[in-house]
Amino acid sequence: MSLLLCKQEHVTRPFYAEEMGIRIYSSQELSYVIVHYPLLVMDGFVSDALLNFLREELNHGFLALKIERWQKSGENPDETLVMILQECDYCTGAQISRFRQTVADIRKKHPAEYRKRKADEFFSIRQYRRALELYQELADWKADSVVDDHFRACVLNNMGSCYARMFRLEEAFDAYSRSYVAWNQQSVLERIYYLSKLDARLKPGERQKFRLTPELQEKWDADMEAARQRAAGSEAAGQLEVLFKRDLPRRQEGEAKRIAKWKQEYRSMM
Amino acid sequence: MIVGIDLCDEYTRIDCVPEEKPRLYPTVICRRREEDAWFIGEDAYAHNLTEDCVLVDQLVSQMLKNGTATLGGTRYEGRELLKRFVREAVQQFLKENGETKTEGIVFSVRKSGPKLITVLGECAQELGVEKEHVRVISHSEGFVYYIMSQKKEIWCGTVGMFDLSEERLRYYEMKLQRGARESTVVCEYENLEEGSISLDILNTPAGAKLADKILCSCGERMMQKKLYSSVFLTGKGFENRDWAEGFMKMLCVKRRVYMETDVFAKGAAYLAQDLLRDKTAYPYTILCDGRLQSTVTMNVLRKGQETSVILAAAGDSWYGREAVLDVIPDHQDTVDFIVAADAKKKRTVSVSLDGFPKREDRTVKVRIRITFPDERTMRVNVKDQGFGELFPSTGVSVMQEVMI
Repeated sequence: MSLLLCKQEHVTRPFYAEEMGIRIYSSQELSYVIVHYPLLVMDGFVSDALLNFLREELNHGFLALKIERWQKSGENPDETLVMILQECDYCTGAQISRFRQTVADIRKKHPAEYRKRKADEFFSIRQYRRALELYQELADWKADSVVDDHFRACVLNNMGSCYARMFRLEEAFDAYSRSYVAWNQQSVLERIYYLSKLDARLKPGERQKFRLTPELQEKWDADMEAARQRAAGSEAAGQLEVLFKRDLPRRQEGEAKRIAKWKQEYRSMM
Repeated sequence: MIVGIDLCDEYTRIDCVPEEKPRLYPTVICRRREEDAWFIGEDAYAHNLTEDCVLVDQLVSQMLKNGTATLGGTRYEGRELLKRFVREAVQQFLKENGETKTEGIVFSVRKSGPKLITVLGECAQELGVEKEHVRVISHSEGFVYYIMSQKKEIWCGTVGMFDLSEERLRYYEMKLQRGARESTVVCEYENLEEGSISLDILNTPAGAKLADKILCSCGERMMQKKLYSSVFLTGKGFENRDWAEGFMKMLCVKRRVYMETDVFAKGAAYLAQDLLRDKTAYPYTILCDGRLQSTVTMNVLRKGQETSVILAAAGDSWYGREAVLDVIPDHQDTVDFIVAADAKKKRTVSVSLDGFPKREDRTVKVRIRITFPDERTMRVNVKDQGFGELFPSTGVSVMQEVMI
């Protein structure tokens, strides 16, 4: 139990972490991003822009210089991330050691496995376009001991999820179908079924239809209905209902704000 | 020229550094009914007697009560009249001493408060004094600065002072406590016989006798058998001490007794001079009214080490004192402050973070802001700052006032 003292940092020009699509305003946020998303910071994150940010905005000139010298020496570049963590005083010693170990473990991964984990990380932070780029690459990866049918099925399933989150239902359906062909997973079949229910133009193939027993359909229909009801009773739906009951000018103002927010969210996915 | 002002409802004394003849004004102002002509002090009384003028007194109290006065058909606020009086008095004083401007100005008042500090601060700025060279202090603090500017032997032990003005008898006591790192000067006062002793009674033999008796009994009670480095007498009541034969006899037994009418104004002027120095000539912690009596600290984690951060120190002026700190709670749902009156008297004050967002560890950043509405109260404001774009601020904040 403790209170971590934050250094007063008057950041006027935040650092834009392109991979994550967010702006970073403090050394604590920078450390958080490094520790929580190692896969997204391992390649090219410690750039000139970041060094400038450390030097000019966070007043860590000495650290920036140290990193520059380290980079020139050609030593392990992952250590520069550790240097940042040590200097920013946000993580505990144990966290930093764990981070160092995690990075070393990731570096030992098969290139396809490394890319998949990176794509999954993009997916977790709703960066679907970036995740898709990597999944596409993996979908065409030459088969080997790691990239087998199961691996490919997982990649295609994740691609389907990316498309679905971006409301590109046709492409999502196609990716799920290919995943199902590669590895007959019932959870994938369930998603295919839901998509066919959401969009009548999407028809499951013969092989999928064969597996869609009346019992399964009945269960998934019930689940879908339950999900619909949960969504109808959710806080977000309640807020919308309140908004629609307001007088016209306030309602329009609220709608405009809401739509702008959704647009912003959608843009950041792309 | 550097000016110190002792501002009271009855009188206003102005003194300066380098030392010149001090000036005493009754705290009154008047204006001609038909003309925008203003007079202060004795001039105001004189014009009020001979011309068609309207006179206003009790200017400090009027301002504190948000009072107004109508002079020549125009309604003036108390703050405006007080500012006009102070401005006129300072300008007259400067003119008499062949000066046009003052570099620093310190006001010594019976009881300071935010309102009085604001008005006098504005007034000083109107006189062209920079904000950093202006202070409003209590009489106790004025007394402390006056004494500390005297020879060391006068204040190496306890110093006592009786202040007898129009309707008030006050006893001040100052002690120097030497510490290993820093020495502390503690000054306290007590109002004696408030309202029951008036300077008017000194005009009759019976009244003078009674006043002497009252003073003797107060003196014996306050001083008992304590040892004093020196004792001071101040205030209009002691300008002539013939009436206080018994009191003087009691007082002047193996003690150095001094009479000084301008203690508070001189003390203020010495402080004003000190404000202009690069390094203070008074490297002491001063504990008196108008200053914080306790030190407020917080335990925080810095560079992996538990360390204590001082938010406000005993002896700091409470007015305008503000501390701002950003912290990230780690497995902790309170913000704890340690309030210490001295090394032994310590207590912990906790501000709960209930209602703040529940997120994973170290992702809630809060801004702690402490201010002091008066010398005995600390106001704590804790606000969720969010964690950048990763976790935007929810705007939740909590405010708590704590007696210190």
